[in-house]
Amino acid sequence: MDKNIKILIVDDFTTMRKVIRNLLKSVGYENIIEAEDGAIALRTLKNNEVDFIISDWNMPNMSGLELLKAVRADSELSKTPFLMVTAEALQDNVIAAVKAGVSNYIVKPFTAEVLNTKIEKILETL
Amino acid sequence: MNIETLLKSIDLIASDFLFLDSQDMNIPTAGKFLNSLEGLTGEAAELGIVPVLDVAKGMNVILECVILDSLADKGKAISTFERGIALLQEIADEYKKTGGYTKEYESYLNQAGAVTGRAIEAQAAAPGAETPSADPPQEEKKPDAEASGQQFLIQDESLLRDFISEGTEYIEEIEVNILNLENNPEDKDYINAIFRPFHSIKGVASFLNLEKIRGLSHNLESLLDKARNGELSVTPQLIDVVLAGADALKGMISSLKEALEGRNDNPLDVDLSDLETRIRNVDKGIEPERSVQKLGEILIEEGAISEEALEEGLKIKASNPDKKIGEALIQKGTVTPKQVSQALRKQAEQASELSTIRVDTRKLDDLIDMVGELVITQTMVQQDISNQENGNKNLTRNIAQLFRIASGLQKVSTSLRMIPIKQTFQRMARLARDVSKNVGKNVVVEMEGEDTELDRNMVDEIYNPLVHMIRNSVDHGLETSEERLQCGKPEKGLIQLKAYHRGGNFVVEISDDGRGLNRDKLLKKALANHVVNNVEGLTDQEIYRLIFLPGFSTAEKVTDVSGRGVGMDVVRQAVEKLRGKIEIESTPGKGTTFIARFPLTMAIIDGMIVKVGKERFILPTTAIRQALRPTREAYNHIMGQGETVNVMGQLMPLVRVYDLFNIEPEKVNPWDAILIVVEGATSSKCLLVDQIIGKAEVVIKSLGDGLKDIDGISGGAIMGDGQIGLIIDPEGLFELSER
Repeated sequence: MDKNIKILIVDDFTTMRKVIRNLLKSVGYENIIEAEDGAIALRTLKNNEVDFIISDWNMPNMSGLELLKAVRADSELSKTPFLMVTAEALQDNVIAAVKAGVSNYIVKPFTAEVLNTKIEKILETL
Repeated sequence: MNIETLLKSIDLIASDFLFLDSQDMNIPTAGKFLNSLEGLTGEAAELGIVPVLDVAKGMNVILECVILDSLADKGKAISTFERGIALLQEIADEYKKTGGYTKEYESYLNQAGAVTGRAIEAQAAAPGAETPSADPPQEEKKPDAEASGQQFLIQDESLLRDFISEGTEYIEEIEVNILNLENNPEDKDYINAIFRPFHSIKGVASFLNLEKIRGLSHNLESLLDKARNGELSVTPQLIDVVLAGADALKGMISSLKEALEGRNDNPLDVDLSDLETRIRNVDKGIEPERSVQKLGEILIEEGAISEEALEEGLKIKASNPDKKIGEALIQKGTVTPKQVSQALRKQAEQASELSTIRVDTRKLDDLIDMVGELVITQTMVQQDISNQENGNKNLTRNIAQLFRIASGLQKVSTSLRMIPIKQTFQRMARLARDVSKNVGKNVVVEMEGEDTELDRNMVDEIYNPLVHMIRNSVDHGLETSEERLQCGKPEKGLIQLKAYHRGGNFVVEISDDGRGLNRDKLLKKALANHVVNNVEGLTDQEIYRLIFLPGFSTAEKVTDVSGRGVGMDVVRQAVEKLRGKIEIESTPGKGTTFIARFPLTMAIIDGMIVKVGKERFILPTTAIRQALRPTREAYNHIMGQGETVNVMGQLMPLVRVYDLFNIEPEKVNPWDAILIVVEGATSSKCLLVDQIIGKAEVVIKSLGDGLKDIDGISGGAIMGDGQIGLIIDPEGLFELSER
């Protein structure tokens, strides 16, 4: 499995981004960039070759779902794997994300192992 | 729309399924099928093909369960899904040939139901019927079984530090937004703005294994979620409990900080059960209930009896069910009847707190208004009777009794409208913190006397001037943290809010422990701005008061916070409009205190009654500086510049009230008449009146719409003899005299 993929973490809470970054590092992913909201994430995606997006669901200005829709609507980004982080597996939210083309979702809190499995599973299907 | 399109859509799903790698349906594939089914359902609904809708519904549920990972046997579920595709093809083919489908298909729903563990009902043929979501949203998915045994615990100190500082910031954001929400309870944006930080805090807390923080923020978050969905309305209780929750979170987070610094061995050792109960009550829409203490408990609390004595009393009561506990204790000689009756009264007071009702303030205003008139009318009656000789003694006595009752009634009705200043103070405290953050300062806010009561209408009115004073104190009064440390002061600035009653007034003090007013700077500025022309001999007090003059502002740069081009003169005007007074005390290097006095109510004015010709006028006492009869020499008439009077070395313009209102005066010469020195916003003038009749508290009446804009008159009042007296508005009168 390619551990050198470039992963973008999108979350408005700095500490949360750091938590995810630490978890990713612990399973070998080192190439990580961050964005603090959906709008910034879109700009970052334009300027960087991002291989994998991990985004929070609940963010100000642009929610994770809106970001997902914007990514899927963009011809250059539409195939980028998108892992949605949610606090609860609320059925309506999850189904909405799946319909919008999310690659998978993960419920907080999660361990590095669970996160790694989710990422590897998504990458396998590419 | 025709059946061919539908058939094509079904074929597309079938071929997608055919190319599906193995039986492992992943999330993106499930999403794709969901979208295809949605499109297909739309087409079938337009054609009115109910069997397709039903089967698609069953397939939808299977997909949802795939996504939510809630299937016991995924392989079986997916083959059921596959059978669904075949069934769809069959139904659509049959429709194409015969225009109907007569075979049994409902069992498919049962199969799908069995494999997913959900009940699926066939739907009515409502066109465009939505894909239903069978279950209510799951409350909170517990971490997966395989994962729950593992440690989420992240013992990373730097992460914890980040969480502490970011979490505190988020909670402060919550506090500010709650105030906004309180003013706009309908605004979903504000609910969102409060919801989100709780949500974020919860997320990180779950990783850091801070279960108490996670649990509390989760409960508050769900409360707000309900408010956002309209399931709960934004009540004061909800706002209170969210604020209390934010405070508790803040407390816990700061205890974590203390623990990191080695000052607290037991962080998060707090009892949240009360708060959790309150949250649950608000969640269920239960009003908080105050409990009434038992008589025995009150007696113990008062120290009248010991617990043993109470138990003995209770035993007696148990054997004589008719007997009350108080009686039993008195009989035994443990307590005196007086103690019992006092305790009973206390109990009754507690019970009465339980029964409150909400009343429209307009009704209260009407009531107070009418009681005011009642008091006046009965004064009139009383005067009539005392004017009669050989008055009926009985009548006089009864009238006196009526007077007592009426004034008691007035007191009670006025008190109905009194509320504590607490809430305003709290808003101001939060504002101070907010402002200090904006200007990069650190403050502590202390409150005193927040239970002091004030007329409800006044509470709203004094808010704005107070806000301006707070902004001013934080922005101009306090130094930055660095400056403070250099002066040897604590890093955090102190803002004190005090409220108390004095001399029939409501007094608010706002103090800061900042740099104090700079005498020389004020003088320089005053001269430069031509606020004053001569500064010699001014006392410190007088110099400080300069900041209340129009056109005066010492802030070197216009800041976002207080320097909006309006200075303290606006505050003074606002305070005076409320018939209040503002004073200032300052010690260089130690700080500044603003003292604002307000009347307890706007409905009654404390006035001086003066006579001009046959008319009587009421002058607000707050505007009167002094009254005098000048000497002949003090009076000057300069041609073209008007008349002046020398009042203790100061030349003041003379205003002849009778001239302004076209009244035939009794006295024309100032040295025969009485001069009253009245202070306006910018200047003082002498009003010439015939006579001072006395002082009185009068109930202010509006003159009605037709007469409301008369210059120099702010209202009317019914005097003791039933005649009307007009209330003078000094500012308006000054303007009138200058025309």
